[in-house]
Parts: sequence; C-alpha cells; structure tokens
Amino acid sequence: MQSGTRSKRQSAWHMLASEFSEATLNEKGSGEYDPSFVITKLGAKVNRVVVAGLLERLEVRETSNGSTLYQGQMRDPSGVHYFSVGDYASESMRELTLSLVEKTEVGEPVLLLMVAKSRWYQTDEGAVYTSLRPEEACEIDAQRYALWLTRASEDTLQRMKHYSDSLAAEPTREGLVAAGIPEHMIDGLLVSRNHYGDIDVETYTLNVMQALDIAEGRMDAASQPVAAPTQTESDDDTQSTGTDSDESEVKDTLVSIIEQLDQGDGVDFETVLTNAVARGFDRGLAEEKLDELSNEGTLHEPRFGWFRIVG
Amino acid sequence: MSEKYETHVKSILSECPDADPDEVAAAFEKYETEFFIPPQDAMRSILRRFKGDKTPAPSGSSGVSSAAPRTTRKVSSLSELKGDDKDIEIEVEIISHNIRDQTIRGEQKQIAFGLLEDNPWEENGQKNRWEYKDWGPNSNITPGSVVRIEGASVNEYQGKMSLNINQSTRIAVVREGTRPITAPGEPQEIASLPSDGYVCVVGRVLASRPDQIHRKDGSGSIDIVRGRLADDSGTIGFLSWEPLEHEVGTLLKIEGAQVRTFRDTPELNFGRTTKIEVYHDKNFSDADTLSQQTVLTLSELRDGARDVDAVVQITEWTKRSFTRDGEERFLWSGQIADPTGRCRMSAWSELPITEDKLPLTVRLKGVRVRAWQGIPDITVDNADQVEFLDAPPWDSELDLTNHTAEVELFELSTGASRVGVSTTATVVSVREDSGFIQRCTECRRVLRDGACAEHGPNDGNTDIRLRLAIDDGRSSVSLLTNKEATLSLLGMTETELQDTVNDLGQVAFVQSLRAKMLGKTINASGRTIVDEQGAMMLADHAAMVDEDAGLRATEIRAQWKVV
Repeated sequence: MQSGTRSKRQSAWHMLASEFSEATLNEKGSGEYDPSFVITKLGAKVNRVVVAGLLERLEVRETSNGSTLYQGQMRDPSGVHYFSVGDYASESMRELTLSLVEKTEVGEPVLLLMVAKSRWYQTDEGAVYTSLRPEEACEIDAQRYALWLTRASEDTLQRMKHYSDSLAAEPTREGLVAAGIPEHMIDGLLVSRNHYGDIDVETYTLNVMQALDIAEGRMDAASQPVAAPTQTESDDDTQSTGTDSDESEVKDTLVSIIEQLDQGDGVDFETVLTNAVARGFDRGLAEEKLDELSNEGTLHEPRFGWFRIVG
Repeated sequence: MSEKYETHVKSILSECPDADPDEVAAAFEKYETEFFIPPQDAMRSILRRFKGDKTPAPSGSSGVSSAAPRTTRKVSSLSELKGDDKDIEIEVEIISHNIRDQTIRGEQKQIAFGLLEDNPWEENGQKNRWEYKDWGPNSNITPGSVVRIEGASVNEYQGKMSLNINQSTRIAVVREGTRPITAPGEPQEIASLPSDGYVCVVGRVLASRPDQIHRKDGSGSIDIVRGRLADDSGTIGFLSWEPLEHEVGTLLKIEGAQVRTFRDTPELNFGRTTKIEVYHDKNFSDADTLSQQTVLTLSELRDGARDVDAVVQITEWTKRSFTRDGEERFLWSGQIADPTGRCRMSAWSELPITEDKLPLTVRLKGVRVRAWQGIPDITVDNADQVEFLDAPPWDSELDLTNHTAEVELFELSTGASRVGVSTTATVVSVREDSGFIQRCTECRRVLRDGACAEHGPNDGNTDIRLRLAIDDGRSSVSLLTNKEATLSLLGMTETELQDTVNDLGQVAFVQSLRAKMLGKTINASGRTIVDEQGAMMLADHAAMVDEDAGLRATEIRAQWKVV
C-alpha cells in the first residue's frame, strides 16, 4: 500500500567531500516540485547532506542579473566541497555568510558544519560538477568536527559494505533486497552501478582512515609532508637537466592544469591533454611529458589515467 | 621554527617570501591543535592568509570538459524521431517485455522485445507506443518501469518505426515498476494490494457478520455484510453490498473487488459485478493460522482498522456520562499500554474493572480502532470482546504506566501514529519560528501575524516551543518540543529565555540554537503523528546526547576492521 512520498522531507546523508565531488550522475523527476538527486559511486541518492570542514574560501560574486552570490569552498580530509549562498537563501543563512566572509578576509580559521542541498550542473561538453547550497549552517569547534568525522566515516563504511554486497547480487530491485541492501540504498545502487561501472573504493578507505585518525586526535598520523611547490621546481634548472626551456614549459603547464582542475580525485588524461593543446602545445609532446612527470614522481596516478600532484 | 612543519612552511615561503617563518609555523600549529586540520589541508588557507586574496577562482566553472563530448540527441516524444536517427535519448515507460532465444551467426543469444510508450510522466497526456528490440538484453528493463534510454537508434521497416536498444545503449531506471502489470483474473497477495482499484484475491473468510448502513437522509437502511479475509501475506476487511453467505473458514476466489481506503485502512468492496466463488487449495493455511495475523501490537494500530485482536494492559479507567436524546448514557475510557507503546481505549458497555485492581491485562477480540488527534483509540462495543488474563505475556516487572519504548526513527516515520515512544537522531534543522509563539485562545493553533486561520485575529496565549527536523540518514521527522521540554533542553527559565531573545533578536537567537544543536544527536520522547505529509513527533522531553569522538572512532575501527 504505497502512498505519495512527494511532499516528505528528504533525509540527509553524512558524507565526505570525496564521495560527493566524484559524483557525475544525477536524477530529477519531471514534476516542478520533484526532488533532484546526485547519485554517488557508492549508490547514495543525495538530495541533502550534513557536511563539515575548514572554510577555505568565501567570496562574493556579482552575477549578470545583479543579484549577489557568495561562493565558497570547504575542506575536509578527503577533499573540497564547493557551495554557494544566493539571494534565495534564508535571512539567517545570508547573515551568517556575511560574518564568515569577514572572518575569512582576515584569515581567521573557521570550522563550519552545514546542512545543504545537493546541486549539479552539466557543461555543454557534458562534464558534470556537483556543488552545495547550504540551508542552515553554524561554526563548530574541533570536538564537534571530530564527531562529524566519525559519523561521516561510519556511514561511508556502511555504504561501501552495501556497495560490495550489491556486486554479488542480481542487479535488480529483488536481487538487492535479497542481498540485504536496505531500501534507501536500492534505487541509487541500481543506477550507480550502471553509470560508473567498476569503481575503486580504496581511496574512500584511505579517506576514512585519515578522518578517524583526526577524530582520535592522532594528528601526526593524519599529517602528510607537502611536495616542493611547483613554482620553485620550474625555476630550478638543475632539476630539469637536459630539457630545453620549451619542454619544461610544457611540464609546468601540465602541472598547473592538474593543480587547477583537481577537485580531489585527480584529473583525467583526456582533460589534461585537451587543455595542454588548447594552450598551444603539441599533443604528442604533452603526452610524452605527462609520462615523464609521472615517472619522475611529480605526478601520481591514483587510478589508471587520472593524475594528481604528489603531495 | 618548529621542525615539524618545515616542509609546509618552506612551501608557503616560496610563495610568500616576505612572510615570517615563525608566524607561518604558528599558523600550522593552530590549525592542527585547535581545529584538527592536518598541515596539508591547512596549506591553502594559510597561503591565502599570507599572500592576500589573489588566488584565481576555482576551475569548476571554467567550462573544461572532463568527459568525452556527447552527440546524443535528447527527445521527449517518439514523434520527433526520423527513420535514420541514431544515438538518441528518451524517457519511456516499458509496457511489455518478452525474451526469446535467437541464433545469430551460429550463436545462441537472448534478445528481448516488447512495447514502450513515450511521455511517461503525464497522467493523461498524448502518448505514442512503439515496439522495441533489446539486443543487450539489459537486465534492468522490466515491465511497468520508466527508464531513460541513452544511445538507442531508430529502425524503420516498411513504414513502421521501432527502437533498437544495443549493447552500448545505457539504460537508467528512473522509476521502478510501481504499477505491477497484473493480468486480470490473476490473484494478488493481500499485503501487496494497491490502495485503490479493482483486484482479484484468493483468501479465507476470517469473520463475517450482517450489518446495516443507515442512509444519512433518513430514507432507510441498506443491508450489507462486513467481514475479514486473509491469506499468508496479511488480512483485509471487506464490505459486501450483496448478500454473502459463505461461512467463516471458507476459501474464496474473488474477482473484480474494489479496494477503497477508509481513514488509513484499505477495505475490499464487493458489488454486483464482483465474481465470488469457492476456491479449492489444500495447501492454503487454515483459519486458525491465518487469524494469528489479526493480533496487533499497539504500534501497529491504524485509524479505521476493524477485527483487531490485541493483548494490552489497562492502566487507567474512568466512567463518564453524557446525555443523548434526553437520556443519560455512559461511556468508559482509559489508558492502555503494551511494550511497544501506549494509547487509549473506550468501551460502550461496562467492564468489570475497578480502580484498585489496575493494572489489568486483557485480551481484546474483534475490536475496532478510531484515532483522535493522531492517537489511536480502541473501541470495545460489547463486554464479551474482552477476556481478562491472570498475567501479562511479557515481563510482568515492566511498569507500563510510564513506559517509553525506544524506537528507531525510521520505524517511527514509516509506522502508525504512536504514544509513549522515544527516539534518537541528528538535528538537521532549527526552524526560524522556534522560541516564543502565540497560540489562538480558542484552538491553540499558532497565530500567524496575530491571526488564527480559523478564528481570526486575537491576542493569543504565549507559549514556547522548538521546531526542529531530525534525521537518521534514512528518514526525516519534524520534532516539536513543548514548553517544558524546550526549557530543560536549553537549560533556561522562561525569563532567561525571554531575555536572550530580547538581547539577540529572533534571527540571531535561532542562529544561536543552530550553533548549539545542528548536526548533533538528540534524544526525544513523546508521541508521533504520521500521515501523508510525513511524520511529526510531539515531544514532552528532549536532551542532547553527549558523545566522545575519540571513543566512537576507536569503536568504528574495531567494528569495521579499519586499522
């Protein structure tokens, strides 16, 4: 006996930034008030999230139609959330945003927790980006941040389990029910598997381990050394012995492309090369140099064909 | 300069040569110790601080593609397609789906074919039906479901168009087959009947009694038969407008019965066009087995339910009198409870209950359920529906007078309205109208701009409440805390609360509540009201739950074996 669930409030997922920002699948009913969803690789069908992290940037943008839009980014151990607060937000959310802008301007660290709606948009080329629209938010202290990290970790682990259980099951609703997948995961898992194919969940495990390290106060375990900044590398001629200036310029460009485009899970081969070509470099040369950067350890490939700067 | 952050500090200095290394190191330390942000994650924030705000905007919107360009053409109607269209995308409802084996180039292969229909979302819109062939075949194409087909091609043969779904075509299920396509005359399980429409069921008669419906205009009455039917999946009440003489225990096949939902309870209606015949199935469960299903706990009671059996404890019982048609009549009512919660019970005839014997455990048979403001109320029409038991079937030490059952939020949000329950969940919203409110002096509704929706403008009575949304990741429930619960949750007296709101103003006051509660775990107890709009909990007690992050993290590691 099913009744309409249309007007019911959508539940909120505790989720690390990596899982949300890697999502490229979305779903929207045809009705005006039908909720829209971002579906993650682990099969979470996300309309609303509870997320937290370090407020890394928050600035105002004037839009073409004269309204005000604040854009920000918030970092947790796994990556970055992008969010925006516009005129449509509640008065209290806008007031909070204003006070946070002041704090970020003077470089005061802010830990933020927000309940936010998922947003996505697709570029003309077909690339999908996710972002958030906070509904309510507040500053939190490190203890509450740590608690949020544990909850997000636990829920991520739970989703990873449902995901791996679903692999062995028939890819139908009945098959997933029989495999013990709870109702709220079924719709998402059915479509995510179809869309993403085989995924590597190893990075999520690493994210969770780091989040738990922080929650336990083991900051040393959660800390990583940083790679030498790319700028010094390019100035340093001894590093690029035997390569002429033209070739090192290719490398610098590749590194800066990846740095700019990396939203947490690296940048794929095709995007790196397309961008290098767009900046006037020969594709073959760019490909060769990408290889070199990878071999000399400036870049690594968390997954095949995806590049990140080591650090 | 602390050695610990040496590489990080150097990295910052290479960008901002004028920065003081000690200051940079101190910043890293502050992020780490005060905010739990490891140095690699603090890098950008610290860099921004020392460099000033010159970082370029994130690349998110720079329009760089990270996926291959798509040439798929999206259409909303089949009529937009031409015979040579390739790589199209459309949302359709699958009408039928058949599989056949075919030998293709010497290889046995399964292919699927059937009918699909465009414009799946508009109830009565213009729809076109085409045949399709699925060469995949894709396992997620099922009859009744709405799917988005991406990358199909059109096939035209002798002027007839059809859709080819290939192995590379992507199928996304947009809506599962919620309307099971059941052939007429095919019996359905009672538990999975729709809430309205014509159905066919096979079930055993558990109860049957003649009844009358009085016409409201006083023009007489109609003889009907009421009763209950059951199969292994569940039971359902029925109302027959035609004579029905089958005895309790008879197995019937009923075609063309209409399901109607009265209050929250579906019911089968038998009319002139309904075909009822005795059915033979030796393996069908007998009446005794099936009637076990009519035994409900208080957590399962729904408004409008009939023929309910239950074992409950009566904790309070009073006699009331009222006058109808100039005659004094009596009604007995009180509180009842079982381990799943509490509710009310009323009786139209006297039961052998006196105050000093309470609490009393009783078995109720064939009673009906009404709900009053969301609280279920069991109605006993005759004294013989009540059997007194010597002891409760549950732990007799359990004091049900003030018993509160701890129930998962998900269960509360999907179950019936309940009394005497508590739950634990995350606060995901503090509504702007939390704090002081004015209630209508007539009906206690909250006044909007000094006026009641029903009774117009009035001064109102001041009350205090919080309006929150709580969530467990699967379901969301609206939580309203009453005055006492609110004050104890905030740790304030009414005067202190008034001063706080006066000092801060309403917006900042609500923001201060969010700073206190958002994302934190709360435990609340009271009663729930569940209807089509969702679930609501009216709490008379609420408290934030203290948790230790370090401990939780260690538990999670152990439980999930992540080390």
